Amino acid sequence: MRTKNLFKSVLFLRIVLLFGLFIILLIGGFTYQHISNLTDSTKIVISTYDVNVELEHINSYLSDAESGHRKYTLTKDALYLVPYIDARENINNSILKLKKLTIENAIQQKNLAVLNNLIDKLFTNFSKTDVLVKNDEINTESFKSRLFEEKIILDSIRRQVKEITDLENKLLDDRQKDYQSDLRFTPLFFYLILLVTLVIIIIAFSKINTNLIKIKAQNDQLLIFKESTNQSEIIGKHGNWVWHIDSNIFTYSDNLYRLLGEEPQSFEANFDNFLKFVHPEDVDRLSKELDNMIEVEELPFVSYRIVQKDGTIKHLKAYAKAFYSTDGQKRLLGITSNITDEIENFLELEERNLELERNNKELSAFNYAASHDLQEPLRKIQTFVSRLEEKEADKFSDSGHQYLERIKSASARMRALIDDLLQFSRTNKPDKEFVIADLNELFENAKQDVAITILEKKAQIKSDNLPKAKVIAFQMQQLFLNLLSNSLKYSKKETYPVINMNYSKVKATDEPHLLKATKDQYHKITFTDNGIGFDQKYAEKIFDLFNRLHNKQEYSGTGIGLSICKKIIENHKGFIFAKGEINAGSVFTIYLPFS
Amino acid sequence: MQNDYIHLILADDDEDDRLFFTDAFSELKMNTRVNTFNDGVELMNYLNKEDALMPNVLFLDLNMPKKTGIECLIEIKANTKMSGIAIVIYSTSASEEDIEKTFVLGANIYIKKPGDFKKLKKVLSEVVSINWQYHTNSLNKDNFLLRL
Repeated sequence: MRTKNLFKSVLFLRIVLLFGLFIILLIGGFTYQHISNLTDSTKIVISTYDVNVELEHINSYLSDAESGHRKYTLTKDALYLVPYIDARENINNSILKLKKLTIENAIQQKNLAVLNNLIDKLFTNFSKTDVLVKNDEINTESFKSRLFEEKIILDSIRRQVKEITDLENKLLDDRQKDYQSDLRFTPLFFYLILLVTLVIIIIAFSKINTNLIKIKAQNDQLLIFKESTNQSEIIGKHGNWVWHIDSNIFTYSDNLYRLLGEEPQSFEANFDNFLKFVHPEDVDRLSKELDNMIEVEELPFVSYRIVQKDGTIKHLKAYAKAFYSTDGQKRLLGITSNITDEIENFLELEERNLELERNNKELSAFNYAASHDLQEPLRKIQTFVSRLEEKEADKFSDSGHQYLERIKSASARMRALIDDLLQFSRTNKPDKEFVIADLNELFENAKQDVAITILEKKAQIKSDNLPKAKVIAFQMQQLFLNLLSNSLKYSKKETYPVINMNYSKVKATDEPHLLKATKDQYHKITFTDNGIGFDQKYAEKIFDLFNRLHNKQEYSGTGIGLSICKKIIENHKGFIFAKGEINAGSVFTIYLPFS
Repeated sequence: MQNDYIHLILADDDEDDRLFFTDAFSELKMNTRVNTFNDGVELMNYLNKEDALMPNVLFLDLNMPKKTGIECLIEIKANTKMSGIAIVIYSTSASEEDIEKTFVLGANIYIKKPGDFKKLKKVLSEVVSINWQYHTNSLNKDNFLLRL
């Protein structure tokens, strides 16, 4: 964003400067024109003066010629003819000069031609007079008419000269007016140029100044950012690199060198130098990935190993993303991270997991085999006892019968224990298959399994409609069965058991029990009975394996049933809680994640 | 079934179980003739004899030394001479795994040895009086394990 603004301001600056230069050029052009106009005017004024001067010369030469000629007429001395002859020559020269000076003015040229004619006429007349003088015909009529004609010609010449002078003066007047106006505007132009230049310089300066301030602030920020990047690279064990693809130039951050076990900037940053550190087995793969980076804008992580000069092997992970600079150059910005610790931890963890898994398997196999192998001798004891009871019962004394009964109940109890243990080890097995099952059906099946007890105890079971859920079906049925038989087993002797099963869908946040819940919604199923209950202080203990709250003579139980329940619920990532009140009943609440 | 008695064979390495088995049938008075073998090898040797008298029902324990019940089952089912024998798995365990396996291999019924002699007699008499033709046709995984 900021760089964009800066870029804009640079553009603005360029436009202002170009505009200023254009204006200065424009004004300069105008000024040049004015000055050249001025020079022209000056030239013209000078030429007018020259014209006037030449005309004056002509006048004076004419006077010289006239007076010289007169003196000659009076004295007949040829000496006086010299100025007269010189005048003739001088006048011709002057006329030539005038013709040159007025070459651009057709009227003056015409006037000059007339003047020239008149002068020629005058000198012709002088020559004719001279002839008369030589013949001494001075007082003749023809001499007088010559003199008269001379006067007329001279008058005409003077008029003509005056006319030329007047016209020239009039032209001079006009030109002087132009010259004045030119002279008036010239300083204004100069001033304008100065002003505009000044404004442009001020605008440019202030713009450059604000840009400089901005750049300085950004530089400061960049410096801070760079330093914090350095720090975070050291702490986070990663380094960054930039690849200018078009010019094939690399830059590596200091910490990238440290990752390789080298001093910062100790070798030239390029891919070949980097490859020297890469583990020989990973070189091909990494080179391929780098080629890939040019094509793809964003790459998945690349993991590879490096070998430091001291032989240490490190695991590195790199990630790169293409970006384009403001001038459209493609660059690849990469982060390379040292993941050696993570990899080592992961490997260790994996090994531990495997060990745990092995242990678990062994334990489960042991549990299963133990329970299974224990069954066989027990079954035989039971069979022999039943044989004894059937065939030899009449040979026993009363105490013999009693002992037989004791053996029977002890072996029955052992059978129950082994069955439950087997069941427990089965719930521990890892092969759990989750399927969508109708919980109502599973509950009905469980009810069927205890149907005889229900009949015997005249138990009343009321149940809500249950939903379908993704469960390990046989385990859920086992759970229902265990909870039902638990309630039936620990019923009060004097009252018929009443078991209520209630269902609701709940939000985890609404249930105080579910502080550690990982899902938002749960199926909540409660089993409430009117049995003998238990002391609330044992609410957690009753789920422990082999934990019993009553002695064996009172209530037959193995202390495994509720542990199985807990195990099953844990397998389903649910929760089970018990609440009891002595002689009032107990409530078991189970939560199953809603999926 | 040309004979007027039912010929039964039990292969079980456990002496007590063999005793219970023969006792049960002698008490049942069902006109049966019972032969027992101590392990899978003995059983197969007998069955493979030219003039062997094939049993009507063969009871197989699973966990036997030398040759297990499963191995016997596979051999019998592979032999056309014997494959028609009704085979009852007679085992202490009733693990899902064993039930599944023997069912797939073609056993006809699965009995878990009961811990009560009366129950033993009941379950044996039930098995022997099964109409095998009917049972085999409607055999499925649910009625494979005989429940009492």
